Amino acid sequence: MSEPLLVLDNVTKNYGAIQALKGISFSIGRGEVVALLGDNGAGKSTLVKIIAGGLEPTSGRMLFEGKEFLARSPAEAKAAGIETVYQDLSLCTNVDVVANFFMGREITRKVLGVPVLDERAMEDVVAKALANAGTRIPSLRTNVEHLSGGQRQAIELNRFVHWGGKLVLLDEPFAALGVEQTRRGLDMIRQVANQGIGVVIITHIMQQAFQVADRIVVIRQGVVAGDVARNKTSPDAVINMITGETLAGAGPAS
Amino acid sequence: MNPRTRHALELILDNLVWFMLVFVLVVFSLLIPNYFQLGIFANIIEASSVLGVMSIGLALVIIAGHMDLSVESVAALSAMAVGILFCSSGIGLGVQLHPQWLMVPVSLLLAVLVGGIIGVFNGFLIVRLKMSAFIITLASYIWVRGLVLVVSGGRSAQDLAPAIRWFGIQRLIGLPLTAWIAIACFVVFSLIMAKTPFGRHLVMIGGNETATFRAGIRVNRNLIIAFVLAGAIAGLAGWLLAIRTSGATANLGVGLLFNAFAAVVIGGVSLKGGVGTLPGVYAGVLLLSAINTAINLMGLPANFTQVIHGLLVLAAVLLDAFKQTIRQRLA
Repeated sequence: MSEPLLVLDNVTKNYGAIQALKGISFSIGRGEVVALLGDNGAGKSTLVKIIAGGLEPTSGRMLFEGKEFLARSPAEAKAAGIETVYQDLSLCTNVDVVANFFMGREITRKVLGVPVLDERAMEDVVAKALANAGTRIPSLRTNVEHLSGGQRQAIELNRFVHWGGKLVLLDEPFAALGVEQTRRGLDMIRQVANQGIGVVIITHIMQQAFQVADRIVVIRQGVVAGDVARNKTSPDAVINMITGETLAGAGPAS
Repeated sequence: MNPRTRHALELILDNLVWFMLVFVLVVFSLLIPNYFQLGIFANIIEASSVLGVMSIGLALVIIAGHMDLSVESVAALSAMAVGILFCSSGIGLGVQLHPQWLMVPVSLLLAVLVGGIIGVFNGFLIVRLKMSAFIITLASYIWVRGLVLVVSGGRSAQDLAPAIRWFGIQRLIGLPLTAWIAIACFVVFSLIMAKTPFGRHLVMIGGNETATFRAGIRVNRNLIIAFVLAGAIAGLAGWLLAIRTSGATANLGVGLLFNAFAAVVIGGVSLKGGVGTLPGVYAGVLLLSAINTAINLMGLPANFTQVIHGLLVLAAVLLDAFKQTIRQRLA
């Protein structure tokens, strides 16, 4: 991997007097899957939100494709090619599957100079994307509120696979999925990474991290407590990093 | 359940208020003498034009997950502005423009602009400063009505310029032009809500604001536009009101707000946001108007209208809950 896709350089985030992130530095390469692990409250979600434009860092800098990068809004991050799947699902349950899939980037055609939604074109795209991923949803025109938790998560996952971009952030993406769907989700992640897209996945489940990740980054109390290649470590070693029994990687101790 | 019956059932659920309207019209036509005539139906549409236009703006904001209590007062202020400038007696200044027809676009623009400015004010405070829409627009509801009283000194303006009055008198296929303006508004805004990205985004913002923000939709901008539209549309309603009454009084349109709320709720718009369509709202407006007409024809005291409207809103909310249960069973 020549130039890394995203570099975080001593990123910090304070909430008033509380230091959520005390200086995070690591990098993600193109086509690399990085599993971000850490105990509750370690700062994983805060970090994801900073990369995705939901929060601004207090200090530190980020390089995206070698250039200085700071997303002030999710729209800016998206424009740069960063897709995010949040742990609390980002679906509007009051509209149908197609509308959710295209949220914010609807296909339109001009009628008398006015942009008009091209429903048929959008439905075709969604049908194809879901069929490719092997997801079955009875009708793409049913509102999402009538779908099961698994179906909803499948929509989110298919959405990021379809839009791709350059970097994908997944915050606990499999929380509501069954065994088979999780396996398919992990396959999807591999497939996305093989296209040269960088993937950051936050998970609590050690087994998932070891199944899918190239590298494992552990965050503890707002600092990087470990940054190791998957094939050079073991679940037990990682658990020790998470709980703080050993300090195996870069990053200053707090 | 086979797909066809399921489809039919969903169609009925989606357009329930229209079926109710037809049902009510049929029942009234059968039971009330003289109800079934074209003139009565034309009157129902005509009488609902001001309320209808106002309900559009209110519905837009409610669908986007907020609230605008100021529409009634905004309409009154717009009507008063038009009245003061273009009425020839009372407190009217009797401004004349040549050619005469120029008064139409100027008065219309004035009314819409007055409404739009208050919409900007509401939208800015609510969206940018993250204040509660209920409180901000309640305040506007009060101070804008106060402004009407201040500028009019509690007096009224009469005799609107004939060039503007023309819209209330001239008929096309049995309906005055003002009613056609209301219908046109419903058509245009229904299309905007159903067919354009802006309308789709408003519905989604009403459903899950966080999700739309994360998806990169400019939520604040869309919401401010919604409030400005609600104000501007209320301004248009005020213009129609001035034409209808050929002037403006200080207490013009008092009580319209709650009728508009009733129409919006009966029309199937959820006060939680994200649910409802404008054609449904129009059906709600027509339903209220049809019932008012029936009360008039039966010679009941007008005081009954309030009781019936209140019960109707209650029925609409109960019906909405009932619809949800059926839908869940369908899914």
